Order: sequence, then C-alpha cells, then structure tokens
Amino acid sequence: MGHAEALSVAFQKATKVYPGADHPAVNELEVDVPAGEICVFVGPSGCGKTTAMRMVNRMVDITEGDILVGGTSVRERSPSDLRREIGYVIQQTGLFPHRTIAQNIATVPGLLGWDGDRVEARVRTLLQLVSLDPELADRFPAQPSGGQQQRVGVARALAADPGVMLMDEPFGAVDPINRERLQNEFLRLQAEVQKTILFVTHDIDEAIKMGDRDAILREGGILAQYATPAELLMAPADDFVEDFVGADRALKRLALLRVADIDLWKAPLAFVGQATAEVRAKLEGAEVPHALLVDSERRPLGWLSETDLQQELVPATPDISPEPVIDRDDVMRDALSDVLQHETMYAPVVDAEGRIGGVLSVEIISEFLGSKEALSEEHAAVERPTE
Amino acid sequence: MTVLAAKSLMVADAANKCAPGLPANFCHHHETTGCVAGNGLFCFGWAADNFDRYVGPFFRHFEIVAISVVAGFVIALALALYSHRHRALVPPLLGATGVLYTIPSVAFFFLLLPITGLGLWTAVIPLTAYTLQIIYRNTLAGLANVPADAKDAGRGMGMSERQLLRRVELPLATPEIVAGLRIAIVSTVAIATLAFLAGAGGLGDPLYAQPTFKTNIIMVGVLTIAMALILDLIVVLAQRFAMPWQRARSR
Repeated sequence: MGHAEALSVAFQKATKVYPGADHPAVNELEVDVPAGEICVFVGPSGCGKTTAMRMVNRMVDITEGDILVGGTSVRERSPSDLRREIGYVIQQTGLFPHRTIAQNIATVPGLLGWDGDRVEARVRTLLQLVSLDPELADRFPAQPSGGQQQRVGVARALAADPGVMLMDEPFGAVDPINRERLQNEFLRLQAEVQKTILFVTHDIDEAIKMGDRDAILREGGILAQYATPAELLMAPADDFVEDFVGADRALKRLALLRVADIDLWKAPLAFVGQATAEVRAKLEGAEVPHALLVDSERRPLGWLSETDLQQELVPATPDISPEPVIDRDDVMRDALSDVLQHETMYAPVVDAEGRIGGVLSVEIISEFLGSKEALSEEHAAVERPTE
Repeated sequence: MTVLAAKSLMVADAANKCAPGLPANFCHHHETTGCVAGNGLFCFGWAADNFDRYVGPFFRHFEIVAISVVAGFVIALALALYSHRHRALVPPLLGATGVLYTIPSVAFFFLLLPITGLGLWTAVIPLTAYTLQIIYRNTLAGLANVPADAKDAGRGMGMSERQLLRRVELPLATPEIVAGLRIAIVSTVAIATLAFLAGAGGLGDPLYAQPTFKTNIIMVGVLTIAMALILDLIVVLAQRFAMPWQRARSR
C-alpha cells in the first residue's frame, strides 16, 4: 500500500513562555528532524519535552521562533487543518469510550469528509497493519487490553496517512513486557510506513531503542544534545547528558543492537518421533550442547533433557520449556534481560512467524560486551567496570 | 387563598349529607355500598365504576409535567452549554437557578396568579423553574467529568470546539445529564399535584376535591406514582438504547 510522503520538521529557535511564567518552558529550540526519521524528545520532568512536541500541531502556541513542517510554518496554518494532517498519540490513549474501535480509527477521515467505503477499507487496512483482530472493529475501546488500546491509538493516528506523527509517551502506561513488544511492533511498523515521528519519553532506554536521533532536553526547555543514540552513549556533550544517559552505558549499548544483527549459535534440532540416537549423534561437537525440539513448522517446543534422550524416540512433550523465546527483532538489552530472568544459558530466537532462526547464549552477549565493537571509543573503555 | 377557601367550604358542606368529605351528589348512587359509606381503605367497586373521572386529570397532569420538563431541559441545557465555554457565568447561573429552586411552590403559584391568571401557564412556569437547577447542575457536572485525554485527543486530531462538544463531550456527559433529567421528571410529577392551586388541573384536582375519601387518595397516589415510574422507565430504556458503550462496559 502506498503512503503519503513523510514531511521534515524543523524547530527554528522555537520558544514557549506560558503567561505569568518567569522562564520559558521551551527555550530557543533548534532541532531538525529529517523526513521519515524518529526523533525522541527525552529529559527529566519539567524539561518541556511535551510542550515542544505540542507546539508542532499548535496544541501549544509558539511564543517566539517558528516550526516548519514540510517547509511550511505552522503559524501560517489553521490549527484544525494542521492537526488533521499530523497523527497524534497520547499516553492515556484518549480513545473515545462511546465510539467503537472502527469509529475511533475513522475519526480524522470522518473530519476530512471521506466517503463511507473509503473509510471502511482504510479501517480494515489499519487493523491489519497494527496486528489487531478485525473482530474488534465493532467493540468499544473499554473492552480490549491496554496494549490493544494503544494499538488502536496508533491506528487512529495513522488513519489519514499523515506525514508526521506526534507520540507523547505512547507506551508509558503499558506494563514492561507489553511495552517491549509494542516498541518492537512499532519499529517494524515504522520500517513499513516511514513516517516522521516525534516521540516523547522520560525513559532514556526507550529513547535509545526507539530514536534515530534523540534530543535530550534539560530543565527550562534547553536542548542539551541532539544526536544519534550511539553518539549520545559514546560522546555525551556534557555532565548533564552523561548523568542522564547513566553509568551503565556499556550495557545500554546493547539496546542499539538487534538480535538479528549478531551471529547466533546453532542448536541440534529434533523432531517428534525421531530416533533419539540420531539426535545424540548430532549433539556431539554442537555449539549448543542441548537439543531443541521443534514442530513441523520449525517452531520451538522445548529443550530435550537427558531423560528425554534415554527413550528410543523423541517424545512430544519435552522436559524443559523453551522459554524465553526471543524475537529476532528484539534489541539485545531486552533479550539479555529475558535470558537472565529465566535463569537459563540459551534461548531460541524466532522470526515473525515463530520459526527458529538460531540460539542466543549468555556467552554471545558477554563476548559482545567485551568486544571491540562495544568498546570502540575511549569513553567506553573508561566506563568499563573493573573486574 | 380564595381557591383554598372555596375547597374547604365544599368539603364542609358535603360532610352533612353523607360520609365525611364526600359531596352530596356523590353519595346517593352509592349509599347502599358499605365500603364507600364507611370510607373503607380501598373500595374496588367504586374505583372501577369511577375510573373515568381520573382519566382527564391524569392526561392533564402528564401535559403539565411534559411541558415543564421539556422546557426546563431545553433552557437548562442551553445555559449549561453556553456557560461551559464562558465559565464566568457558572456561579451567577448556579445562584439564580438555586434561588428559583428555593421558592415554595404554593407561594410561586400565588405570586404568578396576578400576572398570568388561573391556568396552565401559572403552573408550568414554576415547575419549569424548579427543573432548571437540577438539570443545569447535572449537565455541568457531566461535561466536567468528560475524560481530559479524550478531549485532548479530539482537539489534537483537529476537531473544532463545536465538533468536540457534539462528538465527544455531550455523548460522554449524557449519563449525568440523564440522571438529572430523571430526578427532574420524578419531582415534577410529584409537585404537579399542586398545580390545581394555579387552576391548571391535573391529578391534584380529584385529590383535593375529596381529600378525606381514602379510595380517592389511594387512586390519585397510585396514578401519580405510576406516571413517575413509567416516565422514568422510558428515559432509562431510551438511555440504554442510545448508549450501547455503557452496556458494553458494565457487561
């Protein structure tokens, strides 16, 4: 499906002073967001990140300076027209409880006066795009879970195919496990739709994971650094950024890397009903010293124990659960945390269809942490914890 | 005061002829029935024979209630919507509708009598005034309780203030608006039994014509309660039909 052209967003000394306030909430902000990139505004509370974002669609009016969307000043646009061209996602979802999910998604197309057939087709496409069951279309938003509600929120923001999306802590109210999944899903979605996205969060880990570039703001709405996550981690501009990014920068760098980007290990695969002798033979000299039972679609079912392998044929129910199963689109930091939580050494890595692609081991991760890749800059070496 | 005096004279006069409180022309058909003569708790035979004398007042009562509540609802809603966007008007409007609400109904009727004379409007004006406070207050509360994130999302997607009001705020405020409407209906049905004092008729007419005849009192009471319940039920059913998301939520 075709998508509208993404638009660049340029903050030009954009300043906001609230009436009666002594200091600006956003102070001469200069940020250029190239079309199709995710820019994360991150900083402590009171740093003006949400205000900065809301100036783009004029939910907050600019006091001084300007913001150009696609080269046109937002000050020259009528707020209603501007907002209908900019997707808007907020933390509490802001879904309308009295409208069905389909009606919620169709809000902006409705305001733009699309005809019924076009709206209906669009809603169907969007439900699929955000991996929501089409059955949900006629339900009310109070019914689905928090994660699904936020998917509806994203679908609603994408409805009229905007060139820019504003997302204010979109995954802030979701539990950590679902947040990780939603983040991965959103990155996959973004790879497809390639919108220009302004994303607000207070969570530096989320900023590192989600942003093509991160704008770190400090109190008073002053830009501390605008750089790619890798630059932020390796060359923080000042003490504030260094503090904000945190002492565990080497670990954080794991968030820059996807599981799919590294060389995984291979485990001997076993199928139900196979002779265990064959499996035992494959185990000799294998990278992973355990056999992984998979179904006919090569989806992991579990690890075979010694007792499993004592039998003549491979049993259908293995002794050891395959958990955690890692998504190959996960970032390494999340994968490591999953592995550590399950107190295991190995975790199967699967693709979007759930098929096995390799095995992640704790050893791979620790090798990576000690490798040149992770420590390529002097800063990192200094930060390295003494052993 | 003249109306009350006339009523009590009639009652006193009737007392000589048959059971206390019954007019003379009323008793001679029924002298044989012990129930009516003895003013029993509820005389079914008499009630069945005389049901038609309540039909007219019942519909007149309904007419008074309907006009008052509809007029009150329209005025209060308009005031609430206007002051929702002009917050400075809220305290004076709450005060004004509150003052109207505190005027005793009988006094209100007699205050209006010299201006509007005996008749429907002398009853409808006070009854309308009483509904204002209830509906106005509830509508404001309903609008104030609309989730801030829904309003923010609506504005952020490019709704005008009018579109936001119609598509988001009013529907979400409806449960509280309807709650106010229900209180207004039930209290108006009750107060309208005094509308006969304004010369407007209604179920107060038969009630005060024979205020000591128990069967009569019970008939009027039952009809008044029935009207309140039926109107309330209609509103509840309409609300359930119009707001499916509420059913979905409570399921």
